[in-house]
Amino acid sequence: MVQFVVDVLIRAVDLALIAIGLSSVYSLIRFPNVALVQYATTGALLALGLQMAGLPLVVAAIVACALVGIIAVVLNVVVFERLLRAGSAIAMIGSLALSMVFSAIFLVTAGPRPKRFELEINPPLRFLGARLTEHQLISVGISVLAIAVFALILFRTDLGRCMRATATNSVLASATGIDTRKVTNTVVFLSGVMAGLGGIGLSVKGEMSAQLGLDMLLPVFAAAIVGGLGNALGAAVGAVVIAAAETMVTNVNFGPLFGETVLFIPAAYATAASFLLLVVVLLIKPYGLFVAEVKRG
Amino acid sequence: MVEFLVHVAIMACLYGLLSLSLNLQVGFAGLVNFGQVILFGCGTYGAAIAFSHQLGPVAGIALGIVFAVIVAAAFARLGRNLGADYWGIATLAVAEVLRILANNEAWLAGGAQGVGGIPLLFGDMPRPMGPLMTLGLCVALLLAAWWLCQRLTTSRYGLALKLMREEPQLAASLGYDLAALKTQTLMVAAVLAAASGFVFAHYITFVGPDQLVSSETFLIWAMVIIGGSGNHLGAIVGAILMQFLFAFVPFVKDALGLPSEHVAAMRLTLVGGGLLAFLIWRTQGLIPEHVGGKQNG
Repeated sequence: MVQFVVDVLIRAVDLALIAIGLSSVYSLIRFPNVALVQYATTGALLALGLQMAGLPLVVAAIVACALVGIIAVVLNVVVFERLLRAGSAIAMIGSLALSMVFSAIFLVTAGPRPKRFELEINPPLRFLGARLTEHQLISVGISVLAIAVFALILFRTDLGRCMRATATNSVLASATGIDTRKVTNTVVFLSGVMAGLGGIGLSVKGEMSAQLGLDMLLPVFAAAIVGGLGNALGAAVGAVVIAAAETMVTNVNFGPLFGETVLFIPAAYATAASFLLLVVVLLIKPYGLFVAEVKRG
Repeated sequence: MVEFLVHVAIMACLYGLLSLSLNLQVGFAGLVNFGQVILFGCGTYGAAIAFSHQLGPVAGIALGIVFAVIVAAAFARLGRNLGADYWGIATLAVAEVLRILANNEAWLAGGAQGVGGIPLLFGDMPRPMGPLMTLGLCVALLLAAWWLCQRLTTSRYGLALKLMREEPQLAASLGYDLAALKTQTLMVAAVLAAASGFVFAHYITFVGPDQLVSSETFLIWAMVIIGGSGNHLGAIVGAILMQFLFAFVPFVKDALGLPSEHVAAMRLTLVGGGLLAFLIWRTQGLIPEHVGGKQNG
């Protein structure tokens, strides 16, 4: 049981980082940015490159995340502000196109073969009977910290107040003197940083490949939608739900339910489980679990 | 060289069908379908299942159409109360779930191995005639589909679709049943896509889950947007243009002496970059939609 919770947590934190970024940007500019998952790969790739150039991993990760944030802001100003004038569906298709260009860049720069960070291999730690490695522990710790910091910014600072005001009513917010464009770009920067961190976290725990981002696309969207797109902390809960569903499919023995000793669902269905959950949630609660009523233009 | 050109032309026609089908959904009814490839897959799997049970090609096309109509009905049911962006993600999720299912269930048309040896449509003809006959069939199918789409969209029905796309509440207030309109459009589009899939299966002689990856959907999207969404001729031109550009990428690679992963990267750049460029600078596409007056696109 403890192992199950640990596995869910390990999976959930990185999902949550990217999904929170997706959701909070959505709350401001009303379109789901598909390219955000590619920012995660960009972060991992940059960190990997910087580490190979001789920087220690922590420094490499910090620099990489900052760079991803800057890339996110530049793309928002150059591409998405323009596309959004034509509507949110156009912007979404544009973000899809952008993520294809990202894929091409990854293929050329990183090559098709998966890569790994250079890390010492330590024996796993024991925690209440659950196994986890030191790297997993540190990575989960950093991600949880990042989510906590984001929540603090959102609910305890002036910037957070401006953000929430802009999300609720952007016209009114700008009338009261809030620079909504600046607020949006700050949030886009934060979303880029979080996505980059999520990507680094994912590749520290597994491996880094050009496909990393696209493989995360539907789980991240599932988490954000289950939590209610536009609701930043709902996305964190959504991530836990999705991670639990995936872990359940791979780790739980369904044998006793059907009168057999061992019955596992094939691991390939782990991702299918989260997509199915997404479809079911959309059927029952079209705007996610934590949004009671939304006006959508 | 002639055989190669015939091959590219056949593929262009088959993509033209898919592009017409997506254009009917996106360009006219405003349905942001990111699961288009699975409608095509209904056709290929109809052919594969009929072949592996020795039912003959007529049963294959019938099965394909039945599958396609079922999936279209499911898509329509999902779309009944979802915003366009949510529905796009939901269709993407459904398509991925079905692909994962096809990949893992060996009893269903061979699982990951797929089904090979599906007979050619004109297999008993001598070599140059067979592919030429197939090309003739594909061109005839494409023209028939074009005629059908043209008839459909220049009628009052087409006006209703456009009204639903532009002003859904006005359309509803005039007494149009929006859910029914969406369902019917999806079903017509699904049958077109399934026809393309059926011919594809009998031309390539192999059906497998790898043909159903979502990047295919995005390729068809690029064809529709670049050609001009809301214009049948545009969708066809987009498909032919992209298909011929794609066919010559390997030659460019050889001429420049690049490694083979650059072919994939170049194609991704063509699709993603082309799509993005058109969205930013020429949203209406190469051949824009006719607005008002007598339509003859």
